[in-house]
Amino acid sequence: MAPSQASHAPTLDSLIKSFNSQTLEASIESLLFLLKRRQVQGDECAKATAHILRQVVAKSKWRDVDQLLSRVQSAGSRLARAAPMEPVIGNVVRRVLGLIRDEASEERNADDLVSETASDIQSLTPSTYPAQRPAPVPIRPSPSAISTGLQVSKSMFNLLSVADPGDSPMTGASTPMSQAQPASVHALRSEVMDGIEEILDEINQADDQIAGFAEIQIHPGDYVLAYQPSRTVERFLVKAASKRRFTVIIASLESPSHTTAEAPYATLRKKLNAAGVKTINLASNGLMAYIPRVNKVIFGAKAVYQNGGLLVDSGSCIAAQAAHEYLKPVIVLCPVFKFCPEDPLDEVSRRELGNPSTYVSYANGPAVDALDVENTVTDYIPPELVDVYLTNLGPQTRHHLASILADHYKTEDIGFSLQLDEP
Amino acid sequence: MSKQAGKGGAAAGKPKKPAKPGADEKREDVLQAVILADSFQDRFKPFTLQTPRCLLPLVNVPVIEYTLEFLASNGVQDVFIYCGAHSEDVEHYIHESSRWNPNSAISPFSSLEFIRVSDANSIGDFLRDLDKRSIISGDFILVHGDVVSNIQLDAALAKHRARREANRDACMTVVLRSVGEQPHRAAKARGITPVFVVDPTTGRCLQYDETHPLQSEHYLNLDPAVFSHGEFEIRTDLVDCGIDICTPEVLALWSESFDYELPRKNFLHGVLKDWELNGKMLYAEILDDGYAARASNLQMYDCISQDVLERWTLPFVPDSNLIHGQTYRRAKGGNYFEDHVVTERGSKVTQSAIGRGTTIKSGSVISGSAVGRRCKIGKNVRIENSYIWDDTVIGDGVSVVHSILAGSVVVGADCHIPEGSLISYHVHIDSGIQMPLKPPARISVLTDDRKLADADVSLVGKGGKGALYEVVADEEESDDEEGASRDPAVLQSSLIYSLEGLNVSTSSISTLDSEDEYDSDDDISVAGSLQTGDFGSTRDRLSSFASDDAHKPDGFHNDAVHGLVDALRADDSDDFDSAKLEFMGLRLANNASDSAMRRAIAVAFVRRTAELLAPEHGGLEPTKAAGEALTSKNGAVKFVKEVGVGGEGVPQQAEFALAVQKALLGVRNLEAAKAGALLAAVLQQLYSLDVLEEEGILAWWADKRAGESEHMNALKEKCRVLVEWLENADEEESSDDEEDEEEDDDEDESD
Repeated sequence: MAPSQASHAPTLDSLIKSFNSQTLEASIESLLFLLKRRQVQGDECAKATAHILRQVVAKSKWRDVDQLLSRVQSAGSRLARAAPMEPVIGNVVRRVLGLIRDEASEERNADDLVSETASDIQSLTPSTYPAQRPAPVPIRPSPSAISTGLQVSKSMFNLLSVADPGDSPMTGASTPMSQAQPASVHALRSEVMDGIEEILDEINQADDQIAGFAEIQIHPGDYVLAYQPSRTVERFLVKAASKRRFTVIIASLESPSHTTAEAPYATLRKKLNAAGVKTINLASNGLMAYIPRVNKVIFGAKAVYQNGGLLVDSGSCIAAQAAHEYLKPVIVLCPVFKFCPEDPLDEVSRRELGNPSTYVSYANGPAVDALDVENTVTDYIPPELVDVYLTNLGPQTRHHLASILADHYKTEDIGFSLQLDEP
Repeated sequence: MSKQAGKGGAAAGKPKKPAKPGADEKREDVLQAVILADSFQDRFKPFTLQTPRCLLPLVNVPVIEYTLEFLASNGVQDVFIYCGAHSEDVEHYIHESSRWNPNSAISPFSSLEFIRVSDANSIGDFLRDLDKRSIISGDFILVHGDVVSNIQLDAALAKHRARREANRDACMTVVLRSVGEQPHRAAKARGITPVFVVDPTTGRCLQYDETHPLQSEHYLNLDPAVFSHGEFEIRTDLVDCGIDICTPEVLALWSESFDYELPRKNFLHGVLKDWELNGKMLYAEILDDGYAARASNLQMYDCISQDVLERWTLPFVPDSNLIHGQTYRRAKGGNYFEDHVVTERGSKVTQSAIGRGTTIKSGSVISGSAVGRRCKIGKNVRIENSYIWDDTVIGDGVSVVHSILAGSVVVGADCHIPEGSLISYHVHIDSGIQMPLKPPARISVLTDDRKLADADVSLVGKGGKGALYEVVADEEESDDEEGASRDPAVLQSSLIYSLEGLNVSTSSISTLDSEDEYDSDDDISVAGSLQTGDFGSTRDRLSSFASDDAHKPDGFHNDAVHGLVDALRADDSDDFDSAKLEFMGLRLANNASDSAMRRAIAVAFVRRTAELLAPEHGGLEPTKAAGEALTSKNGAVKFVKEVGVGGEGVPQQAEFALAVQKALLGVRNLEAAKAGALLAAVLQQLYSLDVLEEEGILAWWADKRAGESEHMNALKEKCRVLVEWLENADEEESSDDEEDEEEDDDEDESD
């Protein structure tokens, strides 16, 4: 029931479609307000950020790397400020910043070392990328993991080599390129855009890649508790269901506003049942009774902080704590782009407040008058309660988080969030 | 999710179509919206003397921002704004805003136009103007400039379109939010309760009315047509958020009715009432979730502000920072602080929003309030549930309870501002002033005609500025005058809802009371409908419920009588046809019953006759006067015969005679003896003009109702001569069967 003209409300898709017809500033502004109005949230934020930064790289005027970096930073910090509860935006911005630094220094190195073959890079770039593009995207994560690793080692090397002259990489990059500017700007632009495409691919494929680990994590006969399964978790379970016979216990909050609608997660249950996996629906207050029977607890994270703490949908903390109490493993599904090189926010601002109407109907006058309803929609889980971080690069423990962060973000960009305060 | 590896493919997300056709398609069903930024009311005075209502800050954001953002979130492309008072201010505001300025690249609307109407006095004038301009191409959203809502209209729009596909006459969808039987705070504009009669299966709106505590009768009359629907709900639990999805035909309807002013009370009520004439169907979309309300008066302003602070309006909450440059953050205690807010140690702030640059000194307690930017709040100040706009200075030890302090107000130390006070821009209040509690003060530096008022030293102190703002339009103070306090707007003009000091009518609440004793035909009361679907057979039975003899305000009756009497008085023409036409039009418009018409005609002619008796109109003899009234205009007699009597039947004639009798009883300044003579004269004239036959008059004579009260009897006795003469003249025809018929009728009556 979706007539072509039905929907006027702006969405991320309509925004992406309008990129060509709009100016860059208008696109950024529309996204800002989509974020502010919560019309883009959750996983879509990462995608949206990557898309808009790609537009920034493609459309904004910049003559050297410094300018490009500052353009991306300013656009990124505006986005991050518009949705302070979505740390993922900051992550993607950092990734793009790091990518620009990498490409710039690579190019500079190429300039320095073989300045006569500068044109080679241009001839090389178009030829190599088309070659990569049609390659089927690996469902298995290993190649991607390797490629990231490679890229990282390269960048680490570059970082050191750049640091040697005692310059910051940005200023170092800008001066010698002044002559070959148009060419190198063009090359850099296309390389960065390609790099952002890769980030987008990574974001899009992360769920599938995580689901690729399903059969390793879930064993036949398992009882798996999924707390408010996110899309990532759903895909994971469905994938596991194609290989294994197990039982899923779906726990969710029972909110009065949903009583009339279909049972929660009906589509997921149908899919699982079709694959022969039993499902049990559970209100979250009945959780404790089931925990002894459960083999593992799975939920998705909105973000993972530097210390291993999680930003999750509210209520998940109870499930994690219960599992911890009974020594059941807690598996958190989180793609790498959700890892934040930040410490958790203070207690007030990390609990996002939702609309009280989830719990109290606005029509219930006396209750609205008498109660102050605080509907926290996000929650923080301390790192001690989490056993496995299942990323698209494979399962990790808390102790490896630091190296993942180091692999993906440049130290210069980690302080990106500190710039947020500037108006 | 597509698993395409191609980079270009993944980039576009879902690259279904090239961008160009997509854009064209969008252009075709572009969504238009019309904002009515002026409501022609003065419920926000004295604040609106200086600032238009839609720019008043609601939790530190101008109200129109909420409306525009609501439209933007629904993907509206073209916006037209109608402004009345202060239109330059609104235009200036929009043009200064980087987000809404139509020339700005970042505006979410592809066009935003202001339309000025120089001589507009009502919303109706705006909409009639809009119709003339023919700039509306398809469905559009009609909202007021004070809507705060987070609902998504997609579903309602889709339903509206589907209905219009099915039936071209479905021309409007009214979006309503149900708030339950016990709405919180002032969730409903409590003065006036909208009553919607809705068919729950189709969502069609069948009747609209408004009730308020000051009206004399505490019931509504249901339109008999309502009962032809299998099922209907009468709902008073709805908040009318003023969001209408309209087709251009709606504007045509406005143009047709040149006297409609209010979109609800006049337009909705009228169009639904005249459904048989215009054939248009209006629908109601009743939402059970989402937030929608209009800051249409101070009570709603208060209510919505509290809802915003409690996040019912998510995402339109302070920490979404919808305005450029706002930097609200959530803080402990349900607060929202902008940057550079200084709260000294020892001060306590809960459930409040505090704007940038505001300082709160130690010992102050603020709860449930919104404080604007750059305010200075002294030590040991207490502020509860109040709204303090930008640049206000509040001295030490002041307490402010449930009041509004507009911008740049200065309050000296140790003042007390009690509940319901409204203090407008630039007022200065000297130290140590106690504001009056009852009635709550309204202080403004301007008078109603926008002149600078002399400082009222007794009120604001020696160093103060400002005087009591007198409401010119409605005399609240003069309670003795009933007419003034009957205006329900009085209930909404203050911040605190109170019925105190107002004359609330104490007439009994009874759904079975009929509108009028005569008016039995459309007394389709609830009881009647439950008994049987065939109204014809229950008419007379129902009329027995009628108990109230008092003359009640009745639009049709008054209009019709006035129209007829004017036509009879007219000296310049002998033509009665136009009066007849007007009368028939009124009758259709009001769906008046036969008996209502009969009554109106009888009253009109009797009034005219009685008038002619008076010396200043010639002091005619009763018989002559009756003859003059009936025959002076061509076609009047025919009119009385055809419309007034309404048939050849004896019962109709008897009814008309009875109506004449009662009408005479109602004529003022007419002593009983004269009235009796007049009755006899009128009846005689009617007889001689063949309007009434002797059977009719005799039937009236036999009717018990004609003699049921002392006065009636007195009148009736005067006609004995006439009746006896009639009886003698036609002895043999005083037939038994007619008597029987009358007796049957009477039995029905006494049921």
